[in-house]
Amino acid sequence: MEAIVALNKVVKDYPLGKLTVQALRGVDLTIAPGEFTVIAGPSGSGKTTLLNMIGCVDVPTTGSVTIAGRETGKLKDRARAKLRLEKLGFIFQTFNLIPVLSAAQNVEFPLLLHGRLGTRERQRRVAELLEAVGLAEQARQRPNELSGGQRQRVAIARALVTEPAIVLADEPTANLDSVTGLAIIDLMKEMNARRNTTFIFSTHDEHVMAHARRMVHIADGKLAEDRALAPPAATAEAPEPGATP
Amino acid sequence: MRGLARLRILFRMAWRNLFNHKAKNTVVGLLMAFGAFLVVVGTSTLASIESAMTRSVTGSVAGHLQVYSDQARDQLALFGGGFMGASDVGTLPDFSQVKTTLLAVDNVKAVVPMGIDVAEFYTQTELDHAIESLRKALDAEDDARVARMEHKIRSMATLMAEEFGNRRKIMRTKAEIDEQLAGIRRATEDAFWQELRRDPVAGVTFLDTKLAPLVDENEGYGMQYIGTDLDAFVKSFDRFELVQGTLVPSGQRGMLVNQHFYDNSLRNRVARMFDRLRKQLHEKGKTLAGDPLLQNTVKRMVRQYRRITFQLEPEEAETLERDLKALLPEVKGNLDALVQAFLDVNDANFDARYAFFQEKIVPHIELYLFDIGDVITIRSYTRSGYPKSVNLKVYGTFTFHGLEESVLAGAHNLMDIMTFRDLYGVMTDEKRAELAEIKAEVGLADVKAENAEDALFGEASDVAATPVATTSTFDELAELKKAAKQGDAAAVERFTQDDIDHGLALNVAVLLKDPSRLEETWGALYGAIGRAKLGLQVVDWRIATGMVGQFVSLAGVVLYVALIIIFIVAIFIMNNTMVMATIERATEIGTMRAIGSRRLFILGLFFCETVILGAVAGVVGGLAGYGFMAHLGNVGIPAPSDELIFLFSGPRLFPTVDSGQVLVALALIVVISVVATLFPAWVATRIQPIVAMQAKE
Repeated sequence: MEAIVALNKVVKDYPLGKLTVQALRGVDLTIAPGEFTVIAGPSGSGKTTLLNMIGCVDVPTTGSVTIAGRETGKLKDRARAKLRLEKLGFIFQTFNLIPVLSAAQNVEFPLLLHGRLGTRERQRRVAELLEAVGLAEQARQRPNELSGGQRQRVAIARALVTEPAIVLADEPTANLDSVTGLAIIDLMKEMNARRNTTFIFSTHDEHVMAHARRMVHIADGKLAEDRALAPPAATAEAPEPGATP
Repeated sequence: MRGLARLRILFRMAWRNLFNHKAKNTVVGLLMAFGAFLVVVGTSTLASIESAMTRSVTGSVAGHLQVYSDQARDQLALFGGGFMGASDVGTLPDFSQVKTTLLAVDNVKAVVPMGIDVAEFYTQTELDHAIESLRKALDAEDDARVARMEHKIRSMATLMAEEFGNRRKIMRTKAEIDEQLAGIRRATEDAFWQELRRDPVAGVTFLDTKLAPLVDENEGYGMQYIGTDLDAFVKSFDRFELVQGTLVPSGQRGMLVNQHFYDNSLRNRVARMFDRLRKQLHEKGKTLAGDPLLQNTVKRMVRQYRRITFQLEPEEAETLERDLKALLPEVKGNLDALVQAFLDVNDANFDARYAFFQEKIVPHIELYLFDIGDVITIRSYTRSGYPKSVNLKVYGTFTFHGLEESVLAGAHNLMDIMTFRDLYGVMTDEKRAELAEIKAEVGLADVKAENAEDALFGEASDVAATPVATTSTFDELAELKKAAKQGDAAAVERFTQDDIDHGLALNVAVLLKDPSRLEETWGALYGAIGRAKLGLQVVDWRIATGMVGQFVSLAGVVLYVALIIIFIVAIFIMNNTMVMATIERATEIGTMRAIGSRRLFILGLFFCETVILGAVAGVVGGLAGYGFMAHLGNVGIPAPSDELIFLFSGPRLFPTVDSGQVLVALALIVVISVVATLFPAWVATRIQPIVAMQAKE
């Protein structure tokens, strides 16, 4: 199966005053469709930068990032926005719901940007997803009326509503208590299983890591470790030969 | 369909965002509402002033357009511009030509010839009155009355002798004043009065010619007048209203005095000051104790006591002295002291004194320098530089409706154009050369007044061709007055419309059938003037009015500059607050970008917010302005100064406001909010989606 995410010798430099900080120092990584991958690593290891590369919100200094067959560094801003809209779903550490919209409207928002579906189809999908994340009752509430876990559920629904190929989650459980955090991971796993959506998320929580099927460990801007955690068949082809220590 | 859904979410988000950032939006909204308010109030006030002024100015003196010589050195300023009488607007030597040409232009309803000038006028003094009474007493052989008048005239002469004695001390050449003093002293001597009883005619003539003129010198008053075709003027200017007396009969010389000028410049000063004080105390609620300016008026009023005492016949003086002694028992002294004490009013006694004045004093004094129906002597220096006097009957007083209180409009008196031409004089090149020659020959200072005209023009001076406009000199003044008193002024030659038309005018008022076509007619007039090669210029009433007329344009400029400044400041403030708000909302914007919003969407969101805010603020501010002006339209805006009375066309301006002004304000505010949003919106579109990832709670 062709990789949905392919990183080839990705280097990312950030100017910091007169110095240049190298956040990524030549990362090679491929992820197949339907994987449930965790990117782990300490703070400052470059894991968020790596996620940004995959999420098309940033482009590499050198090397290439190919998402769903398109090399992001060669796309214009507008085309990258389109790529994000169509192929990617985002779940943020701070939830990042639009405060002025209700839960249902937040979920509907990407569909409106998408602009391909009629009102009825949009409403059907929104209702279905809110039902799936267990928030059918809270559809009309604003984000500030919801708890942290509920907000993140809305965010998951929002990330999935466009039926993206990949869902990216940057520390999705960092702002949640451990019980809620595990419930969110369960939900993500369930969605992964039901829809065969590729999930890539970062965390440094050991309990959360244990739920992943593949763990990519980043240290000092390099791939330190890449291994399958559980025996599912899907992970067999995943490890990059050269990346395994 | 889907675009519509996107627009709806955009609008909904914008709307809710407005409520989510209340503090910022309240500040910005109030600022814009205030701007809209100002636009409505400012533009409607200006428009109201303009229309009020249009009505009063075009309907009083100016007409819609004014035509005058293109050779004019100064701009025409009907309501004052340059210094009194100093402006030179050139001449139109033959009005008839101008009239024919202008009347042929489409939309011209009427043309009225005019000439504005200033002159001094002379009127009967208290001494004249006394001499007049004496003459009557002598005619009636009323010895007691003759004796009383003798007493009065002698006491006046005594005062004059004192004054001239003082004057003598500062004179370098004493000959002339010695001669005058001798005359005055003679009138104080018993011998003269015994002689007078024997030969009344010689005696009275002496008083009339030797004593009375000495007082005259100090009793000249300045007067501004418009010489015009009075019939055409009255017919053409709808703001003209006769107040007292009658119009000047067609074809006769005469003048109409402005009621404002009559009441304020010709009225007995004590009476005028009393009324002014009363107005300030009763209508404006001031007190004498609390207002130094009013205290000063009282002081000046006290000094004017002779305006009362000089006018009283001896028996009237006795009665008044008795009444005043009863009113002011504590005051010691003669009538002069009593009147001075009486005039020294304060808050406690003002009303009683005012009533006393009206009841006991007013009936015995001449309230005005002259009465309607009187003949006055007007003297001017003609353009050729020689003095010229005419006697003219005052037929009545008039006012311009709505401008009753305005000093500017109240300064114009009206006079027939024939008399105006006499007073103006016409300077031809020939005469100018002759004058220069004579000046060179004799030196200007040496030309004695009584010789000047003969020297200049000889016996058959054609400048003063009309018989009634008797060319006079200082010494002839008394003769003239006597002639006037005897009714000679009534023996005025009649003149015809032809006489009016074929002669000099300085400027011409053009009245239009349809004032809205002013611009078009303006052009047409220039065309006609050019074809006829008349060498004239045409100005509209705003320019012709002078500085006050241009005040409206100036006020417009000031308003617009003020609005521009306010809006620039508003744009800066809005720009700043919105940039701050944008940075605060970076995560939200970044998130929208991350999940796939295009920059255009972010831009749309910002403009949508601004336009909603601008529209709401514009409607609120605009309607507030509308309400405010509508309220003022009911109660009126009081004019705080005379210039504003003129601009307001009355003591109060009742402004009108229309919905168009609200719409203009609304549109302006929306445009301004969009301009203010340009930069913050651009900043917002620059926010990278990565920002969303970096957000930490």
